[in-house]
Amino acid sequence: MTGDTDKTRRFNELAEAYSTDLYRYAMWICGNDALAKDLVQETFLRAWRALDSLKDGGAAKSWLITILRREYARTFERKVPLFTDVDKVVVADDDEPGPEERTERALLRQGIMQLEPKYREPLLLQVVFGHSCAEISAQLGISKSAVMTQLFRAREKLKTQIQKDGVTGNVHELF
Amino acid sequence: MSMNFSEFKKLLAADPWNRDSETLRARNSAPEFEQAAEEAEAFEHKLQTALQVSPPVDLLADIKAISQHPVQRRNWMPLALAASLLIAVGAVGMVWKQSQQWDSVEAYLAEHYAHDGDTLLGRAAGSVSEADISRIMASLNASAGQQLKGQIKFIKFCPTPEGRGAHMVVSTEQGPMTIVFMPATQVTDGEMVEFNQMHAYLVNLEHGSAAIIGRRSQPVENLEALVRNSLRTGMVGA
Repeated sequence: MTGDTDKTRRFNELAEAYSTDLYRYAMWICGNDALAKDLVQETFLRAWRALDSLKDGGAAKSWLITILRREYARTFERKVPLFTDVDKVVVADDDEPGPEERTERALLRQGIMQLEPKYREPLLLQVVFGHSCAEISAQLGISKSAVMTQLFRAREKLKTQIQKDGVTGNVHELF
Repeated sequence: MSMNFSEFKKLLAADPWNRDSETLRARNSAPEFEQAAEEAEAFEHKLQTALQVSPPVDLLADIKAISQHPVQRRNWMPLALAASLLIAVGAVGMVWKQSQQWDSVEAYLAEHYAHDGDTLLGRAAGSVSEADISRIMASLNASAGQQLKGQIKFIKFCPTPEGRGAHMVVSTEQGPMTIVFMPATQVTDGEMVEFNQMHAYLVNLEHGSAAIIGRRSQPVENLEALVRNSLRTGMVGA
């Protein structure tokens, strides 16, 4: 009984710590809010079943990401998701951005969705989960130098896209 | 050896929050370095803001409920749709399998890849157990070496011009590529064939052959050594 309670407590801690980031990651990986929710729930269902195999609590985040990526790979086989209108699910901006900033955010979001998976995935692991290049390398099974190249190209593509789509002003200075 | 400005900007674009001593030294070395670092950080803040999405309000509660009722939680509608799709795909697959007549390996590869090649590349993000790889390869009288096993992200049986073979998706630094193992088919060793937007490098093995398939921008021939060294054929009882 105590074992069950302990397992439930561990599981709930994982859910509280990682469900938001996993959802955010899933959303930007698959581009569909319903599928993202489905993926995260499926991830935690599998995590619950295999929780006893997670010996190192420090590895929980990577473990959950691995489960989610596998589940997404399976789902991708079953159906190609329809893209969600990202504006439906983005967090409301507290800082009341001006029109230029709003346009820039919209272009960034559009650009992220248009990145090829090989660029988008490492970028999301870095920005959403704060993974280091070494952690991304381990997660994706590619070399650290390949990770750095993909991250560099991902950002270059995003910047090029924004530039191409005509954002002016201080954003230009970034490039 | 200190970092030049171009290297520094490249590093910023790959790892903008890097704070190792060499990066910090470079950052403090000249005003343009400092400015580039500040601009990179500003871009990161914009990126983080753009990526903010709010999870559904009931997500956490739904997840916590799993520990109370850990059953398969998918609703029936997607399953019903998936089942319909499976039947349709199965029917198409049967028609496809019944019409297998290829004049050449090139024609086979073009038709086979058009069937599900691109879709299966989506499996490059997943993983497959070494046991599954060994099982499939052994049933084809072959085996995969450790290096190849490490790169295989998906494997399944597939039709080939002469009997059953294996369709594999492998991860490479140039993105996922496909290897089709044809246990009973001989090819022109080292020939490059092209179809649609793809090209394939053909490798004759001790028994049978393999086609390494990728987009035309991908150096498929780079996997030749991997295939030759790691795809061992004619291993009875492997």
